[in-house]
Amino acid sequence: MFEKSLYDLIRGLRNHKGNEKEYIQNCLKECRSEIRSPDMDLKATALLKLIYLEMNGHDMSWASFHVLEVMSSQKYHQKRVGYLGAVQSFRPDTDVLMMATNLLKKDLASSHPTTITLPIVALPHLVTPSLALSLLGDLLPRLTHSHASIKKKTVVTLYRLALVYPEALRAAWPKIKERLMDKDEDPSVTAAIVNVVCELGWRRPQDFLPLAPRLFELLVDGGNNWMAIKLIKLFATLTPLEPRLVRKLLPPLTNLVKTTPAMSLLYECINGIIQGGILGDGEDFSAREEVASLCVSKLRGMVSINSDPNLKYVALLAFNRIVTTHPMLVAEQEDVILECIDSEDISIRIKALDLVQGMVSSDNLLSIVSRLMRQLKASSSALAQQQDGQEDLDDSSEDGSGRRAKSQEQTAPLPDDYTIDVIGRILGMCSQNNYANVIDFDWYIDVLTQLVRIAPPPSPRDLDSDSSSSPKSVDISERIGNELRNVAVKVKAVRPAAVRAAELIISRLSTDTVSSRPVVTGALKPLAFVVGEYAFQLSSPDDTLRNMLGLVPRVDYPEVLATCLQSIPKLFAHVAGDDRALWTPERKSSLSLLMARVIHILEPFAQHPYLEVQERAVEFIELLRLTAEAASGQAPSTDEIQQDAPLLLTQAIPSLFTGWELNSVAPGAQYNVPIPSGLDLDEPIHPNLGSLLSQADSLMLPTQGDDEFEVYYNQRPAPTSIYSGPAIERLVDAPEEVGSSYQQAGEESYLDADIVARRKAERRERNKDDPFYIPDMSSSRTGTSTPIHNILQKENGPDLDIDAIPIMSLDLEKLSVSGPSRHQQSQHPRQARQKIVIEADETLGGSGGNSGVSTPGGAARPGYDSENNSDSFNLSKTAKKPKQKSLLQFNSSVLGGLSLTDEQRPDDGFAHERQQKEEAEMALAMKEVQRLRLEMQRANERIQVAQGVPSEGVAVVKKKKKKTKTVVKADEGEEGVVKKKKKKVEGGGGEGVVTKKKKKKAARVVKLDEGDGPDGEGMGGE
Amino acid sequence: MINAFLVFNGQGQPRLTKFYTQLETSIQQRLISEIFTLVSNRAPGSCNFLPLPPLLAASGTSSSSSSATEQNDVPSLVTYRHYATLYFIVISTSTESPLALIDLIQVYVEALDRLFENVCELDLIFNFETLHATLGEMIVGGVVIETNMERIVAGVRAQGAVAKRPVNEGSRGGGGAGLGAMAAAGFQGMGGNFVWHGR
Repeated sequence: MFEKSLYDLIRGLRNHKGNEKEYIQNCLKECRSEIRSPDMDLKATALLKLIYLEMNGHDMSWASFHVLEVMSSQKYHQKRVGYLGAVQSFRPDTDVLMMATNLLKKDLASSHPTTITLPIVALPHLVTPSLALSLLGDLLPRLTHSHASIKKKTVVTLYRLALVYPEALRAAWPKIKERLMDKDEDPSVTAAIVNVVCELGWRRPQDFLPLAPRLFELLVDGGNNWMAIKLIKLFATLTPLEPRLVRKLLPPLTNLVKTTPAMSLLYECINGIIQGGILGDGEDFSAREEVASLCVSKLRGMVSINSDPNLKYVALLAFNRIVTTHPMLVAEQEDVILECIDSEDISIRIKALDLVQGMVSSDNLLSIVSRLMRQLKASSSALAQQQDGQEDLDDSSEDGSGRRAKSQEQTAPLPDDYTIDVIGRILGMCSQNNYANVIDFDWYIDVLTQLVRIAPPPSPRDLDSDSSSSPKSVDISERIGNELRNVAVKVKAVRPAAVRAAELIISRLSTDTVSSRPVVTGALKPLAFVVGEYAFQLSSPDDTLRNMLGLVPRVDYPEVLATCLQSIPKLFAHVAGDDRALWTPERKSSLSLLMARVIHILEPFAQHPYLEVQERAVEFIELLRLTAEAASGQAPSTDEIQQDAPLLLTQAIPSLFTGWELNSVAPGAQYNVPIPSGLDLDEPIHPNLGSLLSQADSLMLPTQGDDEFEVYYNQRPAPTSIYSGPAIERLVDAPEEVGSSYQQAGEESYLDADIVARRKAERRERNKDDPFYIPDMSSSRTGTSTPIHNILQKENGPDLDIDAIPIMSLDLEKLSVSGPSRHQQSQHPRQARQKIVIEADETLGGSGGNSGVSTPGGAARPGYDSENNSDSFNLSKTAKKPKQKSLLQFNSSVLGGLSLTDEQRPDDGFAHERQQKEEAEMALAMKEVQRLRLEMQRANERIQVAQGVPSEGVAVVKKKKKKTKTVVKADEGEEGVVKKKKKKVEGGGGEGVVTKKKKKKAARVVKLDEGDGPDGEGMGGE
Repeated sequence: MINAFLVFNGQGQPRLTKFYTQLETSIQQRLISEIFTLVSNRAPGSCNFLPLPPLLAASGTSSSSSSATEQNDVPSLVTYRHYATLYFIVISTSTESPLALIDLIQVYVEALDRLFENVCELDLIFNFETLHATLGEMIVGGVVIETNMERIVAGVRAQGAVAKRPVNEGSRGGGGAGLGAMAAAGFQGMGGNFVWHGR
């Protein structure tokens, strides 16, 4: 068979374009057999090929044993392949690693520097605590190896050992320190040590303070920029502990800032100066002032528009670090930072956003959010245009929603991830500190409405959503909806507006989307709550109920469905439960129809596999059936007899949902609820639950619903996407020709036309009673000249002769009463805007600050978050972080507990030394045992000598026989008589043989005494 | 610290993968493809830093992260450079200097150029062991140990001869655009901002 080399494999791959998969499978098959071959060359080649394929994503964990085999090869070039294989393919669960310990020890002690390097370089990838423990002793001597390259690699490997086994550092640190202090040490070794110390430094800066003089020396005359960068970073962590360092550092750093031609060093200097608190207050104020302005002006120069994008990025990074310690310095740069939000480079944008998020106040929130909204709007309309183009090309008339072409979204102007991120930040900025920065809630509601339209469709819930972090899977549109709900619940003044916004969104959802498609937007869940809970504030409850009924069958996610189902009876109760209206025949029939429809819609859900849905559906169906019965039994009122509507309809059902108002509850409140004394949650519900359940299972009848259950639990719903906007919106992209008002500059640029129009109408409505407000002339009906005319005309109708009314009799208060339906919607809006009451989350004692309300602009209350807003979202995410290790993350937290300074306690807690001591003791003990054994043996032999033959009779006889035989053979040809004679002679000579043997034995014992050979030899003689 | 060093070409095919923490092969591939999508959508003239790929962003740094010290362990920076047909990526924590990482990639490419004499993608494809060896002379366990070109090259050569690309593969199409020329031009191309003096 002709084997492929790596070269052949790669060429083959290049020649099999199109059917690589098959080719690779064949190669893998070949490798599998080749790697088992006894021929080391073949094995190593196969391994090299596997490593190459692993790089391309083909698992080779199955080959770990063979990796070990190649690692133990005698030839360097094969060994190297083996080590590479181990580095690339060993995972934490690779179990053959235990077998490698001796091999690693051996290679570490090799006489060839190149061979020593292999395990040193590989160890950081492989190391486990137990491996670290057993190899530490072999690694430490390598710190003083004659080759600088081995020294520096060993330093780093020891650091990585310490990450999993901190005690290693205690043993290694004195030696590493020695290397660092040695002025004649190879500079690259020193640099490597500085790198390691820098990594250690931020964990335990106090341990490295004693090194400061030496480090300072290196900084001043090191002449190595790479090292200088690390030293500055290290000093930035040291200066907070030792303020005297500041004065010492300031001159060389200032000097570097002024003279260095290397931009990276300059940047790190500035960064270090600011981060190390060197700008902090203290004596020598003028010098510091000078440095501060120097640094900030340099950073500002980096951020400003025309600079190198890399510098822009790193300057923003620096600002991001500075902002926690020196917010004022950063706030001064707001103008240039805000410019970066509109940068073309997404990396820069994101960094700028990180910064801006910490800088929002009630003054700049509006302008920042406007910037972001404009970006999103532009991106979404560009996306829509793209899809339109696609639509036109396809010439498909089946639906105009343009939701096709998932692939198109990849080339969208802004990636979905970024859009989601920005939306999340907008929500976060606005909801910060319980909406402390939002002044105009009407504006916020409009922004939210617009965001629901912009929000990208949720990604189909993918495989890892349940295995990994759950907060990740929170759908962004659901978060927007949550915000709207929070506003509705917490800000009573704008509740009507929020409810109407929810109403609008729901009606858009039901009318705009194609009825056959499932609704996937998560916003529906909180919105359904809002319209249900505050049904009395809806402008048209009947329409909303109808819309909800239309939407419910199309909802995919059971959690959303459950909330929607709950809101339907609430709406129904409001629509049907008017106890003052007459029970007319019309009402009776229309309500019967409505109930029949609701029941019809709900019925399929009675068998829903998700229990929450099923339960609610069953409850409401039963309730409505009862009510329908009652309604049909109640005769309608006629002209003669007044009949009341059935009480079930007017009293019972509404009473289910009214009563106490629901307030928002703080996330932690549940924990503060005391557990009732008699409650034991660990107590089983039924002592024999298991058997009950199994009984129930066996009793279960085969049902038709099986398939549905199967589908629900085992099959993934097909990924769907939704675009929630009317087609017309995407066709018409003409800029709105409306003059913008001064207070809301440029709002039209990011809000959809219809939202803007509604907003204008509302403003007009709100201000219609305000004689100081001059309405938009273009929209007023005729050429009346004054606002008062306008008001009069509106209120009294066009046919009224305004001149006939004396101006004196104008009563503004009456006017506001005259529109009762509107009155409800716009009660004292101006007043509300002055002092909007935002209710805080309710909680139970302990967590403090339970006064109930806060006003915008008032003192920010940290820790106050609404139930589901983005802050708490972030918090829960960070709270989880310590537990959940990030991908690729190093975990150096163990080092935090290790102190390097207390070296005067040699005895306790030092496993490595202890282990060495134990080993020494063990060796001593072994020697003792051996000595004793030898003594015993000798004593035994002495006895044997004294007793003579009997004790060894058997052996001797054997020997004798042998001897006779040989003798016989030798004397062949002689007569039998001689034979007999010989025998006799031998009888006497037996003694001699035995003594001979004894001598031999004695010699052997002597040998044993010299060296401590294996016991087998000593015992074997017996 | 440096969490990973990756090289892949314009089609997203990996040429070198080195992760300094152990990671499942499938997750490695996902990370590579996520970074590739990010990197291939960069506008010309953008900076050399990528936003965190979703895989890292999800589990790693959220903007309002807990303590600054905790963050030092989490990968927070993705630096890349584009040479001819190849992308070089470094994923690192915040303890590394971003601008220095850009230079680190440059040093790596220059070292390869020195070793292969006018290096191109084909050299790297057929000699990926040398790629690993060169990287091993510069970074061990996620810590930079050497930035001096002479020493790096000498270190690699000490391990054995560096093979040239096979002669009959010399069409030099596709990958043959001459990474080395790019590397040489790199210093000037970056506007001289990153020239290391006294290296």
